Amino acid sequence: MNETALLSLTIFLPTLGAFALLFFEKKAVEGMRVFSLVVTAITFALTLAMWKQFDPSVAGMQMQTSLVWIAGWNINYQLGVDGISLPLVLLTSLVSMLAMVASWSITKQVRGYLMLFLLLETGMLGVFLALDFFLFYVFWEVMLLPMYFLIGVWGGPRREYAAIKFFLYTLVGGVLMLIAMLMFYFGSAQSTATGESIFDLLTLMEIAEVGGFDRTMQITAFILLFIGFAIKLPSFPFHTWLPDAHVEAPTPISMILAGVLLKMGGYGIIRIAMPLCPYGTQYAAYVLVALGVFNIIYGAFAAMAQTDFKRLVAYSSVSHMGYVLVGLAVWKISEASGATVGREYWVLGVNGAMFQMLGHGISSAGMFFMVGVVYDRVHHRDLNKFGGLMQRMPHYSGLAMVIFFAGLGLPGLCGFIGEIAVVLSAWSFSPLLAIIAASGVILTAGYILWTIQRVYLGPEYKGPHAEELTPINGREASVAYVLAVMAIVLGVYPELMFGLMRTSIDTLTISLADGYDAVRVIGDQVGAVLSP
Amino acid sequence: MCGETAVKPRFTHMPLEQYIYTGTVLKWLLGLAWLLPLVGFAIEIFGGAWGKRLDPVAGGRKLRLAGYLAVFCIGTGFLLSLTALVVWKGGTGVALMPTAEAVSHGDHAAPDGGEHGSDDHAVDHGEHAGHDGSGDKPQQATEGDARGQSPAAEAHGHGEADAHQEGGGHEAHANDPYAAAFSGTYYELARFGNLRLTIDYYIDGLTVLMFCMVTLIATCIHIFAIGYMSDELTEDYEDHFVHLSGGRHFHRPGRFYRFFAFMSLFCFSMLGLVIAGNIFQVFVFWELVGICSYLLIGFYVERHSASTAANKAFIMNRVGDFGFLIGLMILWTYFGTFQFANVSPAGSPDAANGPGLFQMVRDSRGDLQVEETADEQVVMLQGSGSADDTSSPRSIPYWLLVAAGVGIFGGCIGKSAQFPLQPWLPDAMEGPTPVSALVHSATMVAAGVYLAGRFYPMFTPEVLLVIAYVGCITLFIGATIAIVATDIKRVLAYSTISQLGYMMLALGVGGWAAGIYHLITHAFFKSLMFLCSGSVIHGCHHEQEMTRMGGLYKKMPITCGAMLVGVVAISGLAFWIPLAGLTGLSGFYSKDAIVASSLAFMAGNPNHFLLFLVPLVTAGITAFYMFRLWFMTFAGQPRDQHVYDHAHESPRVMTTPLIILSVFAVGCAWFGVLENWILTSEPAHVAAGLTSAYHVLLTMPSHHAIHAMHHTAGTAALIAAVTGALLSAVFYWKGLVDPESVRKPFAGVHHFLVEKWEFDNLYDVMFVRPVHVVASWCTAFDKYVLDGILHLLSRLTVATSAWDRKFDETVVDGLVNLLGNTTYGVGRSLQVVQTGRLRQYVMFIVVGVLGLFVLLIMFFPRA
Repeated sequence: MNETALLSLTIFLPTLGAFALLFFEKKAVEGMRVFSLVVTAITFALTLAMWKQFDPSVAGMQMQTSLVWIAGWNINYQLGVDGISLPLVLLTSLVSMLAMVASWSITKQVRGYLMLFLLLETGMLGVFLALDFFLFYVFWEVMLLPMYFLIGVWGGPRREYAAIKFFLYTLVGGVLMLIAMLMFYFGSAQSTATGESIFDLLTLMEIAEVGGFDRTMQITAFILLFIGFAIKLPSFPFHTWLPDAHVEAPTPISMILAGVLLKMGGYGIIRIAMPLCPYGTQYAAYVLVALGVFNIIYGAFAAMAQTDFKRLVAYSSVSHMGYVLVGLAVWKISEASGATVGREYWVLGVNGAMFQMLGHGISSAGMFFMVGVVYDRVHHRDLNKFGGLMQRMPHYSGLAMVIFFAGLGLPGLCGFIGEIAVVLSAWSFSPLLAIIAASGVILTAGYILWTIQRVYLGPEYKGPHAEELTPINGREASVAYVLAVMAIVLGVYPELMFGLMRTSIDTLTISLADGYDAVRVIGDQVGAVLSP
Repeated sequence: MCGETAVKPRFTHMPLEQYIYTGTVLKWLLGLAWLLPLVGFAIEIFGGAWGKRLDPVAGGRKLRLAGYLAVFCIGTGFLLSLTALVVWKGGTGVALMPTAEAVSHGDHAAPDGGEHGSDDHAVDHGEHAGHDGSGDKPQQATEGDARGQSPAAEAHGHGEADAHQEGGGHEAHANDPYAAAFSGTYYELARFGNLRLTIDYYIDGLTVLMFCMVTLIATCIHIFAIGYMSDELTEDYEDHFVHLSGGRHFHRPGRFYRFFAFMSLFCFSMLGLVIAGNIFQVFVFWELVGICSYLLIGFYVERHSASTAANKAFIMNRVGDFGFLIGLMILWTYFGTFQFANVSPAGSPDAANGPGLFQMVRDSRGDLQVEETADEQVVMLQGSGSADDTSSPRSIPYWLLVAAGVGIFGGCIGKSAQFPLQPWLPDAMEGPTPVSALVHSATMVAAGVYLAGRFYPMFTPEVLLVIAYVGCITLFIGATIAIVATDIKRVLAYSTISQLGYMMLALGVGGWAAGIYHLITHAFFKSLMFLCSGSVIHGCHHEQEMTRMGGLYKKMPITCGAMLVGVVAISGLAFWIPLAGLTGLSGFYSKDAIVASSLAFMAGNPNHFLLFLVPLVTAGITAFYMFRLWFMTFAGQPRDQHVYDHAHESPRVMTTPLIILSVFAVGCAWFGVLENWILTSEPAHVAAGLTSAYHVLLTMPSHHAIHAMHHTAGTAALIAAVTGALLSAVFYWKGLVDPESVRKPFAGVHHFLVEKWEFDNLYDVMFVRPVHVVASWCTAFDKYVLDGILHLLSRLTVATSAWDRKFDETVVDGLVNLLGNTTYGVGRSLQVVQTGRLRQYVMFIVVGVLGLFVLLIMFFPRA
């Protein structure tokens, strides 16, 4: 297949699918579901084809498409994939497909649901593949609206509140990103060859690498971008939308939310905030790591106090995404020379952060699915009213234990690799923060095991609708098996993903170090001129 | 280590081809033994779940296939381990039988044989040239632990080495642990530049020994479990310990297959831990044995006490692992590798991976090289950081090396149930008895000792002192609680804690071989005793309270005899046998070695006299409570006639393993083979001891010093043990003194011991409750502060807009109304579109998005 068309096709196939759904009979609910599943499956196959064509030894963007969209403002329709985006694209299409399988439990307004779902997938894939800042922003906002409706219409009792909260938070993030985007747009004019302003991320990165953006601008822009992305990540203190959104969202949407949407925060930081503001990143590195560590601990504590099963899993996401923040920011420099110290450990941290996103995408999607399976049966999520599911649903419980252990960070499962890589990289940055981060393993074990005990172990089920606790059916088991197998595969063969990411991340860290150095040198020269 | 041997590279090796050949064979033999149980696990867990539907056996009884499969896997593993032993011995030419001279020492076969054995061994290999670069070259300022305070300068070399010598005349030859070792990589998990996370192997005498021990004991226990768990072979298992809300007992299908699946998974994890060639891999399997332990303790998932005990075990282990993790981070940052030691000679496939931790931290003589820099002392690392490789640091601050050592030992504290993390182990007895025998006495909990032994070269004297005191406190706590415990399994559990404390103590006072020695002998006699207790429990229909037993020797003679073997072994009793001299069971020799080590340590460090006195007294206590257990269970009159009447000897599938283990518990320490075997792996710096250490003044005893103490220590320990045993007989066998009359004046102490030194209550108040309080604070902060601010903002917005509306309606609207009237008509016509139907809205969005991209395409021609 033509390389350039592949990316566009991958992004817009779900939209075409959504449009095609209009031609179905209103009664043909099953047909529409199967059709949507086929669309997501083909999308997944297309991303696999992308993987096949991808050359992991090349550092830069591959399969690039670049077409002028709005020439007057230098806005391009520009796509491409590299070792940082490809794993996330694969994760997106996989989780979307699985969430679609899980969507059989949706019975209200099925056509609308499926169309919004497919539009959402377009938005998500677009965000990961866009290389033009404006296009990125467009996809970012495109994704927002379907999500709002999916929570607000198909959600639980407090769905309006949750949906508006989600919408407002994300919108604020989007506005901050917009401001930063315009700063770069107008700031780029003095550095481009033609003297024009641009949205092209790759060129903007090159400008940043040679120190084209000054210190003040980098710091301001980084703060704006970081808050925008931290809301999505989510990071304390911008995380309170997440538990509400998760609790109210229907199961498949929770899967997408935890499995993919949160990753956009991390992706935004590594793809946009860091490369465009190397100086800003370094300036904020300590705060970022400290914030990440705080998230790990805070999320774990908060998870421990929850009585709602979904809220607990949501807070565990806050805790787990803290590792992403830590891993990305463990960039240590020598105070004297400004040179990057121990870059290998930083590379390890960034790799770990990326892997943590993938691992969390699998394990948290799995955890939400597992909650959904019992919720569909007994219609409550009160942790104190479960127990004994191991007796009633042994097959389901066994799979759930595997997935929860993946969340716990058990070696051999996906959660371990990311966590250990991040933690190991942190000491060289700051021993104190590293120790606090490592203490998270105790709390994590605490809340996960306590949850397992309350839900799965024990002699008898204590809640209502006991008669509804039937063994999982084939459809549910297939989702759970895919996630459990993925958790094991990533856990014992992490090279599968590290192999894709290695070159890109290595190059990224080098260019960041150069970018920081360039600005520092310029700043020093300015200082030297001014001081005498 | 004196004269020539000291400066000669210890890195002696067999010829390259032989190394590669032997190494490859060992790698695959042990690798296969390691992976077989994993295959078994996969088949058992799936086959068991699906096999239920296909089960052809009538009458609700199910096949024991899962059990046979598990036994087959681990049994084959044992045979492979034995083969590996033969290959290893043949390939390295190690002599395991002591020389004639050593045997002539008669009464104490042990360390003498060891010294001479390794002596031969050193001679065998002394001529080969080493390959370790740093080993050949003269060292710059070789600073031993011994002379850390005087930096630099002195000429080093032959004369210097004598400073390590304790006794002068008697030479203790340093062992070369790398000469009989093989290392390499199975599989690379990930690589970041020069940083590698790998699954390695490191095979030396200790690895092979652990493999043989673990697989042998596991095989016996698996066979035993086929009998013990046979009541799970039913579709309707009634659990008498679980009461449902209706007052009924709990019924469930049997879980025979699940038990064996978890056991197989455990064997896989444990063997992975033993074969591990790097500390990261140890951590991986460390966690995996932890989760297996969790699953097995909580095997009766419907029992609340079982699941709570499982959680407690895992979480307390995680507390230790937190320390482990800190140690890992420090090592990773300063060494850039996790590998223990890379002994692959030049030309073999894994030679390029650079030196391992042990080789970096100690030079070829086993000394740390400490240098004074401006503001701190640093340990120079060997063979790291070549000129072009600036990323790997060349030194580590001394205090960080101490911190790393203590951190790693933190993991050992958790896993081996040492003070202050010991309370999980007695609770772990909620699991089925074979689990207690395998996981919680013989193998997993001993893994902490194994790791401390394996990681010994990284421990500075300060760390060793910590280890010694932790062991000392633990062995005392465990033994004292065991005196008052009445549950047969709990007595054994506390005795396990106590014995693990002995092992740690031995490692800490410089008796490396003694600690490992006791690890092996203890594994045999303790697993034997647990199986015996299992046999008793099985025979008495799940009665575990010793207060309801008694007189069982008539009912179960084999179990009774086997238990007596175990009791005598653990108490360290010995008998005068004509021709052979003073002969004991296995425990006698290993405990003797420990007490001798600690006495020698006390001789060098009089301040630390407790490290000798406490274990000596505890040796007596050990004999007391172990004989108490035996007397209460088997001797005297039945205390509960009902239990007694229904008691019966166990079937042969359960007694055969008892007999096999008895044989090993009796004789595994005879002839000095075990001791020699262990000594082949002894770290280089142990044999000579130290005259004084770095920051704290410590003298580590040399082999010679320990040997000199043997007779004194052995006699003292024997007297203590005999006293304890006799006292026990007075109280519990002959009934000459009523235990109750002694208990009364000490009611407070008794209560304190029964309450397990109040650790559980203390931890509940100190940690568990505060964690829950902080957790509720976090949630409250989210709910009231963060969301509160958000809601306040939203209310402000609404208020502002209401004011805005008022302004608009009165002022602006007046002007606009005119315009508005015209617009009204247009709006009215558009009302048709606003249907309030969701599906239509969605369609608008879709069309909108599509339109957006149509626009996009329309702009294309300008490209």
